Amino acid sequence: MGPRRATRAPAREPGPLILRWDLDKTYLKTEFDSVRKLVRIPFEKPQDKVAVPGAVPLIRGLRDTAAHAGRTVQVYFISASPPQIAKAVKEKLALDGIEYDGIVFKNQWQHIVRGRFRNLREQVGYKLTELLASRRDTPVTADEILFGDDWESDPLIYSLYADVVAGRVDRDQLIDVLTVIGVDTRLIERAVELTGSVPRSDGIRRIYINLERRTPPTNFHAFGPRLVPTFNYLQAAACLFEDGYLTLPAVAAVAEHLISAGGSTPERLANALADVRRRGHLARTSAIAVREYLHARGLLPRRRHTAVQRSWWERLWPWEQLRQWVRLLTEQPEPAAPTAIDYRALVTDWRAGR
Amino acid sequence: MPTIAIDAMGGDFAPDEVVKGIAQLSLETDIQCLLVGDESHIQRILNDCTYDPERISIHHARDAIGMGEDPKAAVRAKRDASILVAAHRVATGDADALVTAGNTGAAMLACAQHFTVIPGVRTAALASVYPRQTEYPEQDGLALLLDVGATVHCDATELVQFALMGNAYARRISKISSPRVALLNMGSEPTTGGEVLAHAYRRLRTVPGLNFIGNIEGNDLAKGKADVIICEGLLGHVALKMLEGLAELVVDLAGTAAREHWRWKLGFMMLATSVGRLRDLTDYAAYGGAPVLGFEQLLITAHGRSSARAIKNAVKVAAKAVRDGVTGEIAAAIGQL
Repeated sequence: MGPRRATRAPAREPGPLILRWDLDKTYLKTEFDSVRKLVRIPFEKPQDKVAVPGAVPLIRGLRDTAAHAGRTVQVYFISASPPQIAKAVKEKLALDGIEYDGIVFKNQWQHIVRGRFRNLREQVGYKLTELLASRRDTPVTADEILFGDDWESDPLIYSLYADVVAGRVDRDQLIDVLTVIGVDTRLIERAVELTGSVPRSDGIRRIYINLERRTPPTNFHAFGPRLVPTFNYLQAAACLFEDGYLTLPAVAAVAEHLISAGGSTPERLANALADVRRRGHLARTSAIAVREYLHARGLLPRRRHTAVQRSWWERLWPWEQLRQWVRLLTEQPEPAAPTAIDYRALVTDWRAGR
Repeated sequence: MPTIAIDAMGGDFAPDEVVKGIAQLSLETDIQCLLVGDESHIQRILNDCTYDPERISIHHARDAIGMGEDPKAAVRAKRDASILVAAHRVATGDADALVTAGNTGAAMLACAQHFTVIPGVRTAALASVYPRQTEYPEQDGLALLLDVGATVHCDATELVQFALMGNAYARRISKISSPRVALLNMGSEPTTGGEVLAHAYRRLRTVPGLNFIGNIEGNDLAKGKADVIICEGLLGHVALKMLEGLAELVVDLAGTAAREHWRWKLGFMMLATSVGRLRDLTDYAAYGGAPVLGFEQLLITAHGRSSARAIKNAVKVAAKAVRDGVTGEIAAAIGQL
């Protein structure tokens, strides 16, 4: 995959920053890979639920960084779980100290009552219509960062959503793709109706997919550089730092959480950081900035620098810090150059590979 | 958890099979793997795999030494070859052991260049494990044969040291409290095989704590008589290749016969389980690799035709040897000699 370099534009009046999070396997470490674990979910207490390591400091860091730059932040959660677990989830978010602006659950009971059993498992129609409905009420200047996982169809849903909002997928293409997927006709009609009322904008900046199942990164190349598959939230945080959405202290907070709550080690974090750079999602200069900052805080293993390397970095470091702060306050990242996605072919391949 | 350096570019099917093996391993164990080789090529392979990036690091090396290259010339000419860089990383303490499926000669030279010989050791030995009959239920199904090619001829002192090194390895890795050590010879009498072997025999009898059972002949190799078999490199190499060749011959003959006549085919089907077991026994992929003993750092050499599974098992063997302190045990044994 080619690098996902974002070009930068001069400052404009910033719109709100919207963070949309899938719930299970993205924010919450929900275990539903066996029937036994699945059955236990409705009975879990808020304190039994565990957030994916790094997710909580990542949301907090994104909020703080945006607030520092004078932007409002809205956090939304979207879940395919039934509303029966809403109370426990909301209490869990409160326990984590996560403020949110909206949370949506899938009303499975409604589908059962109406005999639409296929809709119980089908998520594309449900999530896409919910996302479009939410976007309809959002200022056109709003930027969005989406977070999902590799368990179901988040990469497809989020990419389709981004391209529908940007006007790159028209009405006919949308109907065609959703029909191929097997989305309920009522949901297709609803999605088409919403598409007409959503203001056109290229505001979906980045899609982060948590590789909880360790899906090979190549499987996501067809989605283009806007979508970043990440193995942990340090990788996402480093990319968000590069895009100007996070500060280095916020990246460090994510790293600290991965060590304290995720059982990671400085060596393992260093490997993860190197991996996301090698995969072309992080520029070498950004990787160095993150690495050196984390080294200095003991969050990465100390490297044995030669005297030349050390003096080079010591001279560069204050300038690099200054550059990051100036950039944060004066520039806004532009989205990665959009890739024309052949959704029909992608849906066929994607579903065949799952 | 130990960090194991892996020569990603070494082997007939490298780097693909090597990287795939490490990708699998990263999901199964806590071993930290340091892949040394062409960074972009390695990452391209990883991108197609299911892997855990937290357990894999990559150190770029521009060159690689091919299986057919002259080891001396290649090591001289390719200073940035993956095996040399990997050996250097182990020597500097960035990794605890080295695994390669590449050119064995080049690997030995790389170790000689970068590793430190255990004080008192005259020459390092290349060991190999091979399947053999077992005489009792808990007996390890593998015996250790050394040297199988690091030397050509050696003297009695070197053979005694091989015995101590093999003994330490078997104690730590095979968990045999008192491994039976034997000298490969042309007869069981103490004086057969010439002056060197006779001298070695006399000295081995007197080494305290060594369970030396005397000479064994070639036909005893596949029996469960000894756990560690000592010989000079030329003889060990011939013996090992013959064992491998025989096993392949048996499997091939059975297959050919089955194709030629229906009665043979029927018989072959009835024996399928046994033939499968024979194939499993001779499957080098299951054993991982063989150690080079005598250095303070550890080298595990895997078969040149190693699959992803073989590489994975070789790294597991290396990690086990590091965890169990094999080199420390060898140093202690040599120190007492």
